[in-house]
Amino acid sequence: MSEDIIRRDPRAEWIARNRLHPLHQTMQASPAETRGPSGLIRRNPHAVGFIGPNGIKRIDRMNASGPATVGGRRAAGAAKEVELPLHRVENPDYYIAVVPDMVGGRLNGHDKDVIGQAHKLIGEIGGNGAVLTIVFGEHREEAFDKAGVDRLLHLQGDEYEGYSPELRVAALAQVEKEYAPRYWLLPDSVAAGFELGCRLAARIGERPATQAWQVGAEQTICRGAGGTSDITRQTPRLLLLAEECADQIDETRHEVLPVELVGTVAGHASIRDCGQVAVDPNAIPLAEAEFILSAGNGVSDWAQFHQAAEALGATEGASRVAVDDGNMPRFRQVGATGTWVTARVYVAVGISGAIQHMQGIGQCDKVIAINTDVGCDMVKRAALSVIGDSSEVLAELIRLAKAHRQEVVENAA
Amino acid sequence: MILDWLLPILISAALLLAVAGMLKRISLWRAGQPEKVNFFSGLMAMPRRYLVDLHHVVERDKYMSKTHVATAGGFVLSMVLILAVHLFGIENRWLSYALLGALVLMFVGSFFVWKRRRNPPSRLSKGPWMRLPKSLLMFAVSFFIATLPAAGILPEAFGGWVLAVLLAAGIVWGLGELVFGMAWGGPMKHAFAGALHLAFHRRPERFGGGRSTGLKPVDLNAAKLGVEKPTDFKWNQLLGFDACVQCGKCEAMCPAFAAGQPLNPKKLIQDMVVGLAGGSDAKFAGSPYPGRDVGFAVGGPNKSITEGLVSPDTLWSCTTCRACVEECPMMIEHVDAIVDMRRFLTLEKGNTPNKGAEVLENLIATDNPSGFNPGSRMNWAADQNLRVMKDVKEVDVLFWVSDGAFDMRSQRILRAFVKVLKAAKVDFAVLGDEERDSGDVARRLGDDATFQSLAKRNIAALSQYKFNRIVTTDPHAFHCLKNEYPDLYPAGQKPAYEVLHHTTFINELVKAELLNLSEFKGGTVTYHDPCYLGRYNGEYDSPRELLKELGIELAEMERSGFRSRCCGGGGGAPITDIPGERRIADMRMEEVRAVGAELVAVGCQQCTAMLEGVVEPRAEVKDIAELVAEALVEEVSPAPAKSREQSKVAKKPLAEEVS
Amino acid sequence: MQPDKQNASLRITALVSVGKHPGSGRARRAEQDARAVEMAMTLAPEGLEVLHAGDPQADSLRAYAGMGLKRLRVLQQGTNADAVPALSQYLKQQKPDIILTGVRAESGESSGMTPYLLGEALGLPVVTRIAEIVSIDHGEANLLQALPRGQRRALRVPLPFVASVDMAAAAPRQSAFGPASRADLESQDIGMAVMDEVKAAWSEAPARKRPKRLKVVKAKTAADRFKAATAKSSGDGGKVLRDKPASEMAQAVFDLLLEEGVLR
Repeated sequence: MSEDIIRRDPRAEWIARNRLHPLHQTMQASPAETRGPSGLIRRNPHAVGFIGPNGIKRIDRMNASGPATVGGRRAAGAAKEVELPLHRVENPDYYIAVVPDMVGGRLNGHDKDVIGQAHKLIGEIGGNGAVLTIVFGEHREEAFDKAGVDRLLHLQGDEYEGYSPELRVAALAQVEKEYAPRYWLLPDSVAAGFELGCRLAARIGERPATQAWQVGAEQTICRGAGGTSDITRQTPRLLLLAEECADQIDETRHEVLPVELVGTVAGHASIRDCGQVAVDPNAIPLAEAEFILSAGNGVSDWAQFHQAAEALGATEGASRVAVDDGNMPRFRQVGATGTWVTARVYVAVGISGAIQHMQGIGQCDKVIAINTDVGCDMVKRAALSVIGDSSEVLAELIRLAKAHRQEVVENAA
Repeated sequence: MILDWLLPILISAALLLAVAGMLKRISLWRAGQPEKVNFFSGLMAMPRRYLVDLHHVVERDKYMSKTHVATAGGFVLSMVLILAVHLFGIENRWLSYALLGALVLMFVGSFFVWKRRRNPPSRLSKGPWMRLPKSLLMFAVSFFIATLPAAGILPEAFGGWVLAVLLAAGIVWGLGELVFGMAWGGPMKHAFAGALHLAFHRRPERFGGGRSTGLKPVDLNAAKLGVEKPTDFKWNQLLGFDACVQCGKCEAMCPAFAAGQPLNPKKLIQDMVVGLAGGSDAKFAGSPYPGRDVGFAVGGPNKSITEGLVSPDTLWSCTTCRACVEECPMMIEHVDAIVDMRRFLTLEKGNTPNKGAEVLENLIATDNPSGFNPGSRMNWAADQNLRVMKDVKEVDVLFWVSDGAFDMRSQRILRAFVKVLKAAKVDFAVLGDEERDSGDVARRLGDDATFQSLAKRNIAALSQYKFNRIVTTDPHAFHCLKNEYPDLYPAGQKPAYEVLHHTTFINELVKAELLNLSEFKGGTVTYHDPCYLGRYNGEYDSPRELLKELGIELAEMERSGFRSRCCGGGGGAPITDIPGERRIADMRMEEVRAVGAELVAVGCQQCTAMLEGVVEPRAEVKDIAELVAEALVEEVSPAPAKSREQSKVAKKPLAEEVS
Repeated sequence: MQPDKQNASLRITALVSVGKHPGSGRARRAEQDARAVEMAMTLAPEGLEVLHAGDPQADSLRAYAGMGLKRLRVLQQGTNADAVPALSQYLKQQKPDIILTGVRAESGESSGMTPYLLGEALGLPVVTRIAEIVSIDHGEANLLQALPRGQRRALRVPLPFVASVDMAAAAPRQSAFGPASRADLESQDIGMAVMDEVKAAWSEAPARKRPKRLKVVKAKTAADRFKAATAKSSGDGGKVLRDKPASEMAQAVFDLLLEEGVLR
């Protein structure tokens, strides 16, 4: 927000006026190109470049060090939303159906990858193909057009809210009947795509390619044997796509024309959704936890540590010493002699990093160290290290997390 | 005179009852599983085993060995003479004098036993064992007075019937304890069972200065694997349990007991006795398993041991350090018994605690305990230019890398050792990806099936190549290769190589002047004997000689050599992780601190890991290979560029290896 | 193990497959299938049948038996046969109350289709990724379904049904060698072998490493592209914050957590 407010910089203006000021040159608005009186573009060769530190004139063609216009808006805030060209499909010859996960009511990266794959297939097949996206229940997505949705089939109704795979498959079967899409593409995700795809495949009798990651109109490569082998096969009609299977759409806008189902969906739900159950993040097995807050010898206030883990929604871990001292249970121990963790983010509080511990966190993506010793191994390993008293930092983190939660709640309301 | 006719009756009654009791006891042992022993040669060897091998162990406590010689010798001698004088009535004055002499000897011995028992250390059992010295004294005194008339020192009718009744009572007490009690489970049982135990010992190799430490393989086709009930033990194992004198030497040495884990080797053996005879441990008068009360354990010959008699936690607390076995004057094999029972829990019940199941599953699926890709076994040596057996086929020394290859700390030891090997220009190679875990952990966790599978595949890999010796930096692998693999070679084949620990091998290199070493500069150094190197393989000297060669004057810890205390890392103990009050490694580091050492030299990666796991500040921990590698003097004359490069690698700072 | 959970008359069939260790590629007991067996053993130790379609000689099947099974039924099939027709034919006869499978096999196609195809063939509801069968009453089962990041959803399904068991379910008990080697592998030739002809046309190779997608900078000018290409990658070298107020340092940590999207 603050970038948009125009502020005057009296000092800069003064320098711009004062030709004798040593910084005067840099404050000049780029005068290199001006329109002459005859309307021709005039270039002032003297105004180009600047005198480098060794006294030699330098020309900065990137204009990287170019001055911001005096008193003008800052460049960052000025970037304008570019209107992308609209991609139109009139009277499509065929459809490619995409059923996105819509986690949280929005398209996620995986969904967009799948839509990108659909367009890639259309590009390969040629002809007038349209991407038909089927969305169940309420959604909050505003940018279907930029994601590449040509046609949107929005199936609304109470029956599609919550966990309703049987009815959704019935609806998809109806789509199959009415639109006969050339391909069915679904994200092969834990969220919903895998389940829905398999159900649909069983229903319409297609043999899907699962975890497909290189898909062409002819041939598909998909992962088999629990991700340890690549199966090359003819591209089937129904594909469950791995993440990053294709590039997302980012250079075109699409129509997002609404379409409807003509017939009625005949389905019967025998599975009843009784709602989500509250789960303590600490009940998540350490090896599978995505976000671990781990405590070591440097933690003194254990109540605060537990509080921090709760506030951040992190699974708790511990170093061997913390476990041996009885501050944490044994199954929380991280390391070669404890659990080998795969967390994406690992926050090590007061852990100096014994070699066994470092081995145990070898697969962690981002390590954050909170420690008093700048020379310890954990700090060397960490992407971000904070040198200071752990209890102070944790207290601040708890405060930030609470404020963040508040904000989220307010935004959602 | 009453005694004239009473004495023979008492003696013969006691003897008859004793024989009956002995037969009953023997039948209890025979309920165990059959095991082939050579009865005749065992019995023939028994006196020597008793007088030499057993005495050798008892001799570690001079006071006790002397009193025991006097008491036991006096008793055996006087018993023989009592039979002659009082039962068969041989009237020979000299015989009577001899008997008096023997009884005096016994009295003196018993007196010192009694004196020691006045303020007994906690390791000793109380109860009937407190009565024993008094019974011994009573036996000696009663028979002494009763023999005086026969020796002609006192008149026949001296003292009248009062004395006669008193003497009779004393003799009944003495005979009851020493003859009847010997056969019916009194403290003197140890003499009877102990003698037979020595004769029919399961590891006769241990006598005469030998060593037998490898576990016995399980017949995997048996109907039941491991020991569930007391009768599943071999009969001579049951006999061995009965030989226990409850001296508590094992308890005093046991690291798990000291750490407050629920294990006391003495109580365990006594529980086995309860099991084989049936009943409860209510009469046990020694230290309990730490944290567990005595009196609730109930067992019988055909009752499952872990259901009521011994808690599985007790069995899983053992680090298999063999300190108890080493210390036991009766040469009881505690570790064998514990592993036998663990085998049942793992192989039949699938009840290996904590990370045990996971480790075993990893060993089965990947041949290493942490489940690493077996193809990455040589990753540690990517910069070492090691020759692999598959390429060279024939070599002098095969370097057995062990699972340290997967552990970053152990890799430093491996690199240091490679540096030493290269400096001495040893002709060596490694098995590379053909090597598998030695099976040590699997075997100690009771999974003999996995051990045998690993061992057989390792043997197959070894059999393809020609080499003279295997050298390894891991004492556990060393022990398996040396002592346990020979049992698993295909029939008719034998290992055609020698197995050495790296300290022994480097010591040889130093003696052959193949290494140019500089003096060690640093503070006080102590040496921690790894159990699997020391007690399991008797290698106490090479590491010490080597350290001396480096110019290190060792500050020996109180528990060192054959009495070294375990680091807590053996027998899968860190995996089963039975909670105690302290950590064994912390206690060991406390001992290091007590001698003021700034550096502990070790010869085992497991010990290194355990001791380095102690919270700083503490002494630095280094493998001897690392100390030697640091002391290597690079030859100034045309040093090959390669070796210089390697030394650079070895000196890489810690941070590089971590990142 | 709670007795109230056990159901004497309940009949559960757990389908097991030959697993594959991701590191060594060696055959083993599949982790999810083992959890299915564990779930069934806890719930109905009496009415449990463990079923496999394939090679009765496969050693790794014994690893399931090592969990304490007396017998394991194998529908004998060649390696190229499709397991689903054989299984559905057998299960149509047996009519168990609950059919448990893993979510995805560790070897072969591992498409995860088996439970759905069985559900379709037998006309039974299919529940995906269950973590626990909480209770069974009035002919319906109360289930907990595993959601990503350790979350759970409560479901209610009428018996009989097919369910795939998630990794979040209770870990399987240890497989013991003794019972494993003694268990009875009852091999049954059900007289039907539907060859998987589609699969025959496929080619299979060890998985290639997939390149991770880089953050593509859509640059309009050469200079921007140059900038993007030469920008210091954020990966190397950690940032160290020190001697700053705790609030500022905590903010940096918090921002990173937000950026990584681990805060909910």
